[in-house]
Amino acid sequence: MPVEEMGKVTKRLRLIFAVSSVVFLMVLAISPIRDYLSDWRRYERDYVRFADSRPDTKRLLADFRPEIDQVWIPQMQVVDRCTTCHQGITQPSLLDASVPQPFRAHPGVPHRVRDWGCVMCHRGQGLATEVRDAHETTLAWEQPILPIRYIQASCGTCHRAGLPQTPRLDRGRELLATLNCVGCHRLQGIERPVMLGPNLTNIGTKVSRAWIYEWLKAPRVITASDGSVLVNGYENEEEPRMPKFRLSEKELRALSGYLSTLASGPIPPYKFDPRTVAAWEKRPDLIDQGETRFRQMFCTTCHSLAVTRAGETKLIGGDIGPELTKAGSKVNPDWLAAWLRNPQAYLPHAEMPRYQWSDQDLFLVTRYIKSKLTDPSLLSDVPKLEAPAPDEVQLGRRLFAEKGCSSCHAIKGLAPQTDFGPDLTGLGSKTVSQLEFGNSKILRTPVAYIEAKITDPVSVNVAARMPQYSLSPGDLDALTTALLSMTGKSTTAGLEGLILTPGLPQFRPGGTFSELYERYKCYVCHRFNGYGGTLAPDLTKEGSRAQKKWIAEFLKNPQTLRPTLTFRMPQFNMTDEEVSVLADYLSMVMQTPTVNPASVDSKQFTPQMASLGKELYEVKYQCQSCHTIGSAGGYVGPNLTNVGNWINAAWIEEWLKNPQSLEPDAIEPHRDFTDEERTALTAYLMTLKQGSPVHARGASGRGQ
Amino acid sequence: MKTKLLIALALILVAGLATSCRQHRAAVTPDPLARAYDSEPDWNDSQHVIPLNYQQAQGKRMFYQYCVWCHADSTPAGPSNRSNLNPNPPLANDGATLNALSDEFMRNVITMGGAAAGKSASMPPWGKTLSQDDIEAVIAYYRAIAQPPYQAPARPGPKYSLR
Repeated sequence: MPVEEMGKVTKRLRLIFAVSSVVFLMVLAISPIRDYLSDWRRYERDYVRFADSRPDTKRLLADFRPEIDQVWIPQMQVVDRCTTCHQGITQPSLLDASVPQPFRAHPGVPHRVRDWGCVMCHRGQGLATEVRDAHETTLAWEQPILPIRYIQASCGTCHRAGLPQTPRLDRGRELLATLNCVGCHRLQGIERPVMLGPNLTNIGTKVSRAWIYEWLKAPRVITASDGSVLVNGYENEEEPRMPKFRLSEKELRALSGYLSTLASGPIPPYKFDPRTVAAWEKRPDLIDQGETRFRQMFCTTCHSLAVTRAGETKLIGGDIGPELTKAGSKVNPDWLAAWLRNPQAYLPHAEMPRYQWSDQDLFLVTRYIKSKLTDPSLLSDVPKLEAPAPDEVQLGRRLFAEKGCSSCHAIKGLAPQTDFGPDLTGLGSKTVSQLEFGNSKILRTPVAYIEAKITDPVSVNVAARMPQYSLSPGDLDALTTALLSMTGKSTTAGLEGLILTPGLPQFRPGGTFSELYERYKCYVCHRFNGYGGTLAPDLTKEGSRAQKKWIAEFLKNPQTLRPTLTFRMPQFNMTDEEVSVLADYLSMVMQTPTVNPASVDSKQFTPQMASLGKELYEVKYQCQSCHTIGSAGGYVGPNLTNVGNWINAAWIEEWLKNPQSLEPDAIEPHRDFTDEERTALTAYLMTLKQGSPVHARGASGRGQ
Repeated sequence: MKTKLLIALALILVAGLATSCRQHRAAVTPDPLARAYDSEPDWNDSQHVIPLNYQQAQGKRMFYQYCVWCHADSTPAGPSNRSNLNPNPPLANDGATLNALSDEFMRNVITMGGAAAGKSASMPPWGKTLSQDDIEAVIAYYRAIAQPPYQAPARPGPKYSLR
């Protein structure tokens, strides 16, 4: 080959070599360039520039963490790189809303961001370093950021017991329990109670077929066009537990027919002496007293009635029992009297107390309910229903199982149904691909799925078996939050003791007290050692707090203690013997070790102490701002007019030391009284006695 | 030949760059309440709902347990104790009165009581009942619901710079 040509080839080769080197270098450069231009590097550069513009640059740059920054919690399988971009997350000076994201600091919460990372609470993808991958649902990453509205769900994944900081979550959990969701679904942390809906074994003796038909058609819920929930046409704050099932006319006839035949073991109707009744009927003054008796017995503490005042209809009364506005048009009169005498004979798990009725009261109250709490048009749109045909009854019995009724309602002889609906224990951690959206027009996110399912089950699946609940927007949020908190994960090893309060055993006393405790259902309203209702005061420490004589008098004639309270203790008409058993038990057993009623003797109090106490009460501490004595004072704390006959001196002293040590939720502020002031105030309060202005005697009138 | 190579190079480069410069989606303006930990309707206008952050929500909880009885005209139990007191305590959302008070002053009145701050002794001290964080949360809640709205004083810049 000639040299000239050789040179040409070499030159060409060199050129190819040079070009391919450049190409090679450029290809090699792609990766670093992409890295340089990645979201997180861009944000880190921005952060440095941003820090330069702040007054505390030096501090911000000292805490700056270049490269990928991550929080790693191996025992919880959490890798969290969010702080790579969210560099200012723990900087107190960057808390302002004016600080641009992603540099703003996290507002104060009980957990340290640097210890727990972000995805534990906010979800999203902790490993991702691109904005979209970290926050949204993409092909490769399925867990989007949880909207802040539902953030309390994340508290609930670890904290199984209620927290004061998470009202929305707690409300949601309460709804899951009260709406009987466990009837059909398995739910994390909620046990199946003994009774869900009422037992229907004898429902045929209680209501008519027409009433059952109407109830099944629209279980007294009528949702107004503006979305508000109405009960029998009245605005209601509480959601009735029975949801609406989508039943056809044939199904309504069959189910109402079947249920109306259920009367296998009715309670024997209570027979009044017809001659006595005839005599009562002749006394117009007496016959109208049914309503007065109804009110005097404080039935409205548990049952509500619709009341129209100034053109506005409202439900007034409690929500422990059903509302009774139209109960007279619902129940059979024979059943009503028998029920009022002994509710547990009809429903063994009924929460209604067994009152001591006189024949006259029972007659008057029954008559009042039957004649005044009625609505003649209640069943007017029900078609004419004859006695059910055998094939209707048979179809009804089949539907009772097929529609899932037996999940909540027991009928003697029918097997109860469990797991009628899907298991929801891990619903909160399901990803989009694990949920069945079908052809529905719902946004493809787990949150949207849950929202749609509880708002309108049919919107997710046309053939949904789940009934329709009508919930307020606030309750929908709460329920969604509670469902999202059920991630099915067990809490982290070693943390259970820290974040789970062990369930307190049910308070089941023994002896004669136990019989009365069950008979009057004290625990439905009162709390005993952490078990029971919250409507009325917690009685766990009642023996330390109240004088035995006062307890006995109160049980005989429950009077209101706080004028602002709407609910009062019902008048049970207890016998003297019952009163003495209850008062003995409460004052001897329900005590707290920190307050011994016998430890302070009121005899030591001198009139000088009491007059100093009066001055402290009225001038220095102005207790009258919140407490009433006689007719003057505030409405926040209890009325103290009769406190000397009511509360033990030892309790008052301890209470003045630190109210929250005796009642953690007490409103009364914890103040710095000197020992002298405390004794003086106690001495003064012990002189306050209604009726008898006798000087303070023994503290409790009872030895230990 | 040369141009083809250059074009190919340029294409590779552009492709490489394009993949790294992905368009960021325009953020949808979110519902302010969806981003709120809790909310409280404006006391003067129930249609207007005020979003609350975590701290303000904790303040709301404290407020409805301890303060509402005297600093609101309706309470969870119904009637209010406010009209019962002389002088009438300010309503919690009374911006016209409370916006002028500094956080420092609010903190002192709540912690040590009205008498210590030269106000009515009817206002008890809460310093031993509530924690410092609780009190800060209550102030944050008062600021959040104030009508007219509360404007935080401009933060003095130099205070935060290092020596």
